[in-house]
Amino acid sequence: MGTLGGLVILCTGLWIATPHFVTASNLVNVVQQSTIIGVIAVGMTFVILTGGIDLSVGSIVALAGITFGTLVQANVPLPLAAAGALIAGTLCGAVNGALVTIGRLPPFIATLGMMSVARGIALMLSDGRPISGFPAGFRSLATGTVAGIPAPVIIMLALYGAAHFVLTRVRLGRYTYAIGGNEEATALSGVNVRAYKTIVYCISGFVSALTSLLLVARLNSAQPIAGISYELDAIAAVVIGGTSLLGGSGSVVGTLIGALIMSVLRNGLNLLGVSSYVQQVAIGTVIVVAVLVDMALRQRASLPTG
Amino acid sequence: MIRHYLRTTAVVLVAAVSVTGCNRGEKANRSGPTLALVVKTLNNAFFIEMEKGAKAAADSLGIQLVVQAPEREIDVEKQMEIVENLIERKVDVLLLVPSGSREIVPAIVKANAAKIPVVIVDTRVDAAALKSANARIATFIGSDNVDGGRIAGEFVAQKLGGKGKVAVLEGIPGHETGDSRLRGFRSAIAKYPGLTIVASQTANWERDQAFNVAQNILQSHPDIQAIFACNDVMALGAVEAIAAAGRTKDIAVVGFDAQDDARTAIRQGRMAATIAQNPHEMGSLAVISASKLLRNETIPAVQPVPIDLVK
Repeated sequence: MGTLGGLVILCTGLWIATPHFVTASNLVNVVQQSTIIGVIAVGMTFVILTGGIDLSVGSIVALAGITFGTLVQANVPLPLAAAGALIAGTLCGAVNGALVTIGRLPPFIATLGMMSVARGIALMLSDGRPISGFPAGFRSLATGTVAGIPAPVIIMLALYGAAHFVLTRVRLGRYTYAIGGNEEATALSGVNVRAYKTIVYCISGFVSALTSLLLVARLNSAQPIAGISYELDAIAAVVIGGTSLLGGSGSVVGTLIGALIMSVLRNGLNLLGVSSYVQQVAIGTVIVVAVLVDMALRQRASLPTG
Repeated sequence: MIRHYLRTTAVVLVAAVSVTGCNRGEKANRSGPTLALVVKTLNNAFFIEMEKGAKAAADSLGIQLVVQAPEREIDVEKQMEIVENLIERKVDVLLLVPSGSREIVPAIVKANAAKIPVVIVDTRVDAAALKSANARIATFIGSDNVDGGRIAGEFVAQKLGGKGKVAVLEGIPGHETGDSRLRGFRSAIAKYPGLTIVASQTANWERDQAFNVAQNILQSHPDIQAIFACNDVMALGAVEAIAAAGRTKDIAVVGFDAQDDARTAIRQGRMAATIAQNPHEMGSLAVISASKLLRNETIPAVQPVPIDLVK
C-alpha cells in the first residue's frame, strides 16, 4: 500500500534527520497527537465512502464539548454528562442525515449549515466563554495510561478496530460501500438507502462528540471555539489514506495511516525547528504528493501489466 | 511495476529530504543552549515584532532560538502539540505566549515535569488553573490588556468631552485578550454618565468583517462619535467603512496594537489613536530573562512592559 510506504519513508527520513524523533516518549507523543483528528476521521471515512462529506465535525466537537461542560457545571454526574455530549453530537449527525436524505440537500450544503448552526449554539450555551476545571477522574481520559500506552490511543485503536470490523464484516459496512459506488443501484436492490446514510452521518456526529471529550480532557477546558477547521484535517487524513472523495472505495486502515502521516509530519517539523511558514508549505505538499503517488499506484495496479 | 514504485518512492524521498534540509543551517552550530519561543500565530504583525525582538536579543547573547506557532491564533490544541514536541526536542527554556490562558496549563505541567523553565509572555496564564494543577512558571512578561482598554476609554472620553455615543468592535468571543481590553474600555466609559456604548458587536479580529459590521452600525446608529476596536486590524476596517460613508471627520476610531498601518492612518488623520504594547520589547525581555534563568540568576515573577497611547 502506497500510503504505508509514505509513512515509513517519512519516519525513516526523520529518524536520520533528528535524534529526538525515534525515542519512546516521542513516538508515544506522536501517536497521542494523532488521536484528535484520528477519531474524527473514522466518521469522516464512513461519510466519504458513501460519496458524502461532513463539514460540521469541528463545530460538533465544540458543541458537544460545551454540552458536556455545561452539564458538569450543573453537577450532573460525569457518565451522564458524557452521554449527554455523545447524544448531542449524534443528534447533530441525525439532522445532517435527514437534511441529506429527506431534504435531498447536497451533503456539502447540509453540513455547511450545521457547521454554522452548531458553532452558534455552542457560543450561545457558553456565552462565548470557555468552561474550565474538570475532575481529575475525567481528565485521566487524556492523561491516563494502560501499560505505558496513553488512554486516547487505546480508545482510538479500539474505534478503528470496530470501524474496520463494521466496514468489512457487517451489513452496514457493505451498504456504505454500495451507496458510494452506485446509490441508485443500491436503492433498487431493496436497501433502505436513506436509513443507512442517516446512520453514517450519526456515526460522524458521534465520533466528533467522542473527540470533544478527549479534547476537553486534554486541555482541561471546553471551548466554544474549539475544533475550527478540524474538518479539513480529517478530510486530509481520509484522502491521504486512499479513500476516494467520489465514494465507494477506501478503508479506515488507510485513514489511520493518513492521520499518522499528518501528525508525524507536524511533529517532525517541530523537532527540526522548521519555520511555521515552511511547515504549511510542507504539509500541503505532502498531502498532494501522497494522493498523487497513491493514485498512480492504483492506476498502475488496475491496468494490465505490459 | 517495480520500477514505477521505485520512482514514486524517490519522489516522496526527495520531498522528505527537502523538508528536512531546511534545518541544515540551524544544526551546524547546535552547541550552546536552545530557547524556544512559541507564539499564538505568525500571521499577525504583533507576534512577528515579538519574534524580531527575541531574535535580536538571542543573536546578541549568542543563544540559539527557535520560533514556532500554530497556523491559527486560537488553536490551543495545535499549540499544545508544538509545546509537547519542543519538550521532546529538549529545549532549555520555553518562552510561551498562551493561546488559551487556562488550556495551556497541561502543557506547562509537562514542561515542569521535563524540568524546562517556562517564561510566559504577553497573555497571562489563569492563576487559579495554574495553582490547581500545581504548575510553575518562571516569570510573566507583558502588559495588561485591561489597562490598555482603560487608557483607550479615557482617551475617547476626553476626545468627546465626556458626552456622546460610542460603538465597540469586539474580538472573537471568549478570547481572553479581547475580553480584557473590552473590560478595561467599558470600565473607563462607565465613569462618564454622558457616554453610552450604543452598539458592541464582534468582527472576529478581521478587517473585512469589521468593515461590514461598522457599516451596519452606521446604519442603525448614524450619530455615533467614536468607535473602539479591540485590535488595529478591525479598527482599520472601520476606518474604511467610515471613509466610504464620508464621515471621517466626525467619528474618532481608536484601535489597539499600534501596527504600522494604524500609525500611518493616525498620521493621515483617518484614525484617532491606538494603544501601543511593545511586542519587540516583550520578545527581547523574554530572551534576556531566559538567559538569566540559564545562569541560575533570580528574576522577578512579573516583568511589566509599558503601554503607550499613540495619537
